[in-house]
Amino acid sequence: MLILANVRGALEQVWANRLRSVLTVLGIVIAVTSTITVVSVVQGFTGYVSDFLQGLGTNAMWIWPERPGGEAGKRLGRVTLDLKDVQALQAECSTLRSLSPLIPRPSATVSMGRTEVTTQLEGVSAEYHTIRNLPVEVGRPFTFLDIERRHPVCVLGREVLRKLERGDDIVGRTLLVDGRRFRVVGILAEKGSVLGNSQDDLVLIPYTMALTMYPSTRTTIALAAQALDEAQVPEAKAQVVSILRRRHRLDAYQPNDFQIRTQDEILTAFNSISIVATAVLAGIVGISLLVGGIGIMNVMLVSVTERTREIGLRKAVGARRRDIMLQFLTEAVCLSLLGGGLGVGLGYGITAIVSLHPQMVDVAVPAWAVLLGFGISAGTGVAFGILPALKAALLNPIDALRHE
Amino acid sequence: MTADPLPLPEPAAAADGPPPVILLRGVTKVYRMGLEEVRALDGVDLRIDPNEFVAIMGPSGSGKSTLMNILGLLDVPTGGRYWLAGRDVARLSQSEQARERGRRIGFVFQTFELLPRQTALQNVELPLIYSGVRDRRARAAEALRQVGLADRMTHRPNQMSGGQRQRVAIARALVQEPALILADEPTGNLDTRTSEEILDLFDDLHDRGQTIVLVTHEPDIAARCRRVVRLRDGRVESDGPGGLSEDRETISC
Repeated sequence: MLILANVRGALEQVWANRLRSVLTVLGIVIAVTSTITVVSVVQGFTGYVSDFLQGLGTNAMWIWPERPGGEAGKRLGRVTLDLKDVQALQAECSTLRSLSPLIPRPSATVSMGRTEVTTQLEGVSAEYHTIRNLPVEVGRPFTFLDIERRHPVCVLGREVLRKLERGDDIVGRTLLVDGRRFRVVGILAEKGSVLGNSQDDLVLIPYTMALTMYPSTRTTIALAAQALDEAQVPEAKAQVVSILRRRHRLDAYQPNDFQIRTQDEILTAFNSISIVATAVLAGIVGISLLVGGIGIMNVMLVSVTERTREIGLRKAVGARRRDIMLQFLTEAVCLSLLGGGLGVGLGYGITAIVSLHPQMVDVAVPAWAVLLGFGISAGTGVAFGILPALKAALLNPIDALRHE
Repeated sequence: MTADPLPLPEPAAAADGPPPVILLRGVTKVYRMGLEEVRALDGVDLRIDPNEFVAIMGPSGSGKSTLMNILGLLDVPTGGRYWLAGRDVARLSQSEQARERGRRIGFVFQTFELLPRQTALQNVELPLIYSGVRDRRARAAEALRQVGLADRMTHRPNQMSGGQRQRVAIARALVQEPALILADEPTGNLDTRTSEEILDLFDDLHDRGQTIVLVTHEPDIAARCRRVVRLRDGRVESDGPGGLSEDRETISC
């Protein structure tokens, strides 16, 4: 009952000093706005990236030859990864479910009739479909024979179809890839885009064919592999490293002449980015809460001075110290919740605007971020409202009533 | 602690009828001003019975305000005893003091002290909020009716005349049905005609049984009271019947 009267009185007070109230809560508005916006965007990206990584495959890892940096790297001989390495891994790695060579060409020309488009090409094996989660929607995936016999067949991503302005009837027809005739056997299911890069702008051909077409890649084959299960990923990684080091005759002091990345590591790398973003957010929020809180404290102190006689009167008609304390604390909290409300609104607005960007990921404001925003603003109100409220509560009623 | 010359019986048990509204025995108030001690009240004895209409007078510095603050439980005496409506209130805690003040005493101030953004009704309701009464609206409306403002309940102070504002303040004092109305220069900010109206209202309340203590320095206002207590240098200088006929200058002990 008293609380209700307090809240009503506080709202009247805030409304009576509209401009002052809004200016006062600016710091809190900024704090809550940045909380909502950054949390939403980071959440959006995190969800997106984990979806993307799931899409890359399950328990997948990538291996590619790479000269390590520094003096040690320079002293290594030729850095290679060839088919013999691939065969050795296939034969010896017990923790790998499957393994596919991966010969990537960032740009390849695909032409059909008079239409000529540029796209990415990957030379792969039949296992690649499962490792990368690239199911075929129309037609068929690669078969063992396609790879073994070096069939001139290809599987297309949806984006390539769009670029060629062709429909599903393209399956079974032939086209030219970098000047060679290929028959289209399948179309991949749509995967969407990452940060504006389509994952469907892709042509898959048998890696045996790719090695023939691009002979220079014979000694720089990359690999995509899949561990038996999640728990086996580190073990699989260790096995790959030891097999390749042995085959490349690396001594103990020499660094790896290849790189190996698991999905987890990519996720970890991304997480460290979002931790940085969160730390920056915490900094902004902390500073603006401090500024906002001091603003609120300042205005509440002014308010207490302005209303000294009112406080005296309230005490004269029976208000106890705690009643006065509660009244001013309620007012501070109402003020800061006003800031919180404006901040939440503004945060929603900014995330909505940000989402309008065509290459932006789906951003949704999580409910807990809204609660967090209101929570921190109410907390600021309490923390910085205590001093003015205490000052009001401890006023001597006689002096207060005599205050000019 | 007390400097009672006689062993006083507890006033509640004191003989006939209801206890006095106010009973002060040897009340002193000492302020420290640096090294100096100022005795604002120096052994005040005072008894006010129910349904009395008393004026407290005195020049400035006589201890009039200090006495009013102590009577109104806004301040605590340094020494002596104070029974308010039979209860010993000289040594109450802050919050008990506030509670007693809210329940038993209705203040009327020279400058009205209404909350500017609240309607007359809300202003009158204020004491009831702090005492946690249920039917606040009805009781506030009834109090406003008693002071003749039944048609001004939703007006704000700035929409009312000075006399009307003071009536709202009186209604606010009345709403708790206090043992005592304590009015501090209630007509100090009003013109003569309005002052008369307010004093008539006090007379009216007195006729209905209300105990009223009025602090003033204007002799003709004090003269309307049945009893005038004069203070000088922190002591009761005179305590006798008021009345228009009496010669103001020559009241003696």
